[in-house]
Amino acid sequence: MIKTEKLSKFYGKKQVLNTIDLEFKKGKIYGIVGENGAGKTTLFRCLSGLENYKGTITSDYTKLKDHLGLLLTEPFFFSKITGKEYIRLLANARQMKLTNIEEKNIFDLPLNQYASTYSTGMKKKLALTAILLQQNDIFILDEPFNGVDIQSNLVITEIIKKFKKLEKTVIISSHIFSTLSDICDEIYLMKNGEIIKKVEQVDFVKLENEMKEFTIGNRIDKLELK
Amino acid sequence: MWMKEYFQLQIKILNRRMIDFGLPILIGYAILPFVFVLLSNYLFEKIEFANYVYGLVALIFVSKLSEPKRNDFLKSIFNTYNYKKLRILENIIYCLPFTLFLIYKKQFVFSILFNLSVISTMLFNFCTNLNAVIPTPFGKKPFEFTEGFRKSFYVFPIAYFLTYISVSVGNFNLGIFSMLLIGIICFSYYSKIENDYFVWNYNLSPKKFLLEKTKTCVLFFTILILPIIITLGFSFINQIDILIVFILLCYAYLTTIIFAKYSSFPNEMSISQGILIGLSLVFPPILILFIPLFYSQSIKKLNTILND
Repeated sequence: MIKTEKLSKFYGKKQVLNTIDLEFKKGKIYGIVGENGAGKTTLFRCLSGLENYKGTITSDYTKLKDHLGLLLTEPFFFSKITGKEYIRLLANARQMKLTNIEEKNIFDLPLNQYASTYSTGMKKKLALTAILLQQNDIFILDEPFNGVDIQSNLVITEIIKKFKKLEKTVIISSHIFSTLSDICDEIYLMKNGEIIKKVEQVDFVKLENEMKEFTIGNRIDKLELK
Repeated sequence: MWMKEYFQLQIKILNRRMIDFGLPILIGYAILPFVFVLLSNYLFEKIEFANYVYGLVALIFVSKLSEPKRNDFLKSIFNTYNYKKLRILENIIYCLPFTLFLIYKKQFVFSILFNLSVISTMLFNFCTNLNAVIPTPFGKKPFEFTEGFRKSFYVFPIAYFLTYISVSVGNFNLGIFSMLLIGIICFSYYSKIENDYFVWNYNLSPKKFLLEKTKTCVLFFTILILPIIITLGFSFINQIDILIVFILLCYAYLTTIIFAKYSSFPNEMSISQGILIGLSLVFPPILILFIPLFYSQSIKKLNTILND
């Protein structure tokens, strides 16, 4: 379980997270949706301890970060590190000895090539593979489906479903609402650094319609397209 | 007009880099030429064929402008004529300090040849990111030595060759230089801070994290200099004490750079840290003070991310 109370974050004078109270339970999948700049990534960085913050984050673990797999929106790669070495680097960081990495290469990535030369989708799949092999209990996945091909999207979705069975906690942000509604138990809607709505499975369709209405509105008309 | 705007933008980029480095712009513009002249003078005083070394350094410096991605971008926004005009002018401007110093040293013919070769580099787009994977003995413990070795693998045969020459001509100092060369290269592996994600991933305390980093560095550095130590140890047995002192100094400097790197985490090293490291190079005993200082600062900085 992870619980945030009055979680706030400022960058200088600008408040990017505003008194967020959330609870993420074991064996549940949570979705976070919101426009670009709503504060999703900052929330994830605070949860993982990559950013300092105001308020409290508590969990069942003494050191939450040591049980957390974090997939960043744009994973960073060193210029001369192969895919296999990247996976090993992340495993070494958690004092894990990995064997038969090739066999665990579920996305068929060219592991002996430099990771920096991978395409966007391949980079994401590599970063995901590395955190999966860390055997974490909690996963924070920031836009895991972005830039990834449809086949791999299916694989990722199945992995997340498997996590639910394994009683792991998963927090995902995505712009692809249909995927989120397929796998999440609860979805939180973020706007301007605040959680403005918590929606449970039964209301996902309603939320999607509301979001469409809110997001599109009469914006396109403003372009006066002819 | 477009060219003026382009170069104004380059100046802005340079200014921002100085600010990011913690160097006030005015001081930067005052110090940089002074340091440049000082280093150039030093090179010409100490090395017999300094102009060639100088030319090579300048060419390496200007080759950064031939990076493919950068040039692809320029080609996409300028037409061929303007692109070539811009690249020639850019190369000449970048090498102007070197040209002026060569003229000051009365190396007129060399400075003309030098400028011609600088202009000709415009014709090439150096590929700095070869995709062929270079084998490394350090792949099992990424990343500093894995990445660093691949970027500088060509230096090691040169260093070993220098050791061979030092033994064949009986020049112990050259042998020490070859070892220091590897030391400097390994030192450079730790000069840039990694993305905070890679530090965050460690389930170690800051103390253990730094210990692990230092242990790996010392071990891998020792592996790289082992052929030199053995060769020099056998060939110059009378000077083994000096050899040991230099090995220990290398270890001390490598430890210093690791601690210094994390002492400003997650930011790059500041100018003040750079000055302290520079000071220690001039007066090595001061490391006794700097190592604990950088260590305690690193622990403090790493605590924010490793002690959740």
